Amino acid sequence: MARLAESVVPGEMLARACAGEQAARAAIYTALAPATLTLIRRMVGQRSLAEDIFQDTMMILFERLPQFRGEAPLGAWLRQIAINRCLMYLRSPWRRARLCWEAVEAAAEAAAPPVAGCRAESIDLERALATLAPVARAIVWMYEVEGYSHQEIAHEFGRSVSFSKSQLARAHVRLRAWFEPEERRSCTLT
Amino acid sequence: MHPHLDRPAAWTGLLRQLPAEAAQPYSFDEFQRRARQRTRAARRLAGATALAAALLLALGVAALSMRFGPPEPPRAAPAGAGRGAPVQPPAGVRPEAMEHWLAGLPSEPAVVRPGTYAAVLRLEDRLAQVDDVLSAARLEPHPPERLLDLQRERTRLVGTLAQVRYAETLADDSL
Repeated sequence: MARLAESVVPGEMLARACAGEQAARAAIYTALAPATLTLIRRMVGQRSLAEDIFQDTMMILFERLPQFRGEAPLGAWLRQIAINRCLMYLRSPWRRARLCWEAVEAAAEAAAPPVAGCRAESIDLERALATLAPVARAIVWMYEVEGYSHQEIAHEFGRSVSFSKSQLARAHVRLRAWFEPEERRSCTLT
Repeated sequence: MHPHLDRPAAWTGLLRQLPAEAAQPYSFDEFQRRARQRTRAARRLAGATALAAALLLALGVAALSMRFGPPEPPRAAPAGAGRGAPVQPPAGVRPEAMEHWLAGLPSEPAVVRPGTYAAVLRLEDRLAQVDDVLSAARLEPHPPERLLDLQRERTRLVGTLAQVRYAETLADDSL
């Protein structure tokens, strides 16, 4: 899976996009949109909500493109925008409530038939991730895949480092429990 | 299934191997269409918010002006009011209002007929009191000045009572 933070856009294309050229903007969109949507989808869990946040993120990208100074790859800059938008949703009590109401939809999405070429292991992991609470899932993804430190996660959430560590530890326990054989799981529970 | 999951780095590897989102994002054209739609909706929302704020402000101003409005101008005095003192026409009234005010005034001076009942009662009570004290004073050895004072007081009270009765008689005759 291509990581968004590693996505690089040629400088010449970036300059044309900053000047407002639609073709250059379309090319940037085509290059970065799949990884962006994947990241957002992993963070929030639901397709419909992910598309909402994705639209916001890409609109902000093109609005602020002239401010991009090129100190990091454009993908890393876009990743930060996307994560900020996701966390904004996760921090808002109203949006958290929406996530809970639509949890059924998320479960159905996780249980959907696998895409051709997907390994059974991946499908299991997708389903296991879907069982996590939205905040826990976001922390797992930020730490394990995007490479954020506990300090950075704590800063993004406006919480303590212990919060990040304990959320991650509990998420690991839950994910491990998902992969344990049924008989062993029942033994552990009893 | 995953014997190595206890290792901290195991999750990183597994999660990074997850395939990309199966459903690809919509095209750039669709993105632009949605962006335009959102901008329009945001503009409409901003307009509606401004309208609602203006409406609230207008309602607030109206409520405040009703509560703390300017004092009402002085009205013309009602007909028949203030019989004791000469009634002056209010300043700054229009000719029609002035005529109306004049028409409302009584044609003749009012005659006041206060009742004498209360005054007569009080005088009679006071006379009875003085008579009692005078009777008691005559039986006891009091100095003659004291008796004379009581006699004078009684004479004054009887004179006042006679005046009141005379006034009553005059008033009855004038009717």
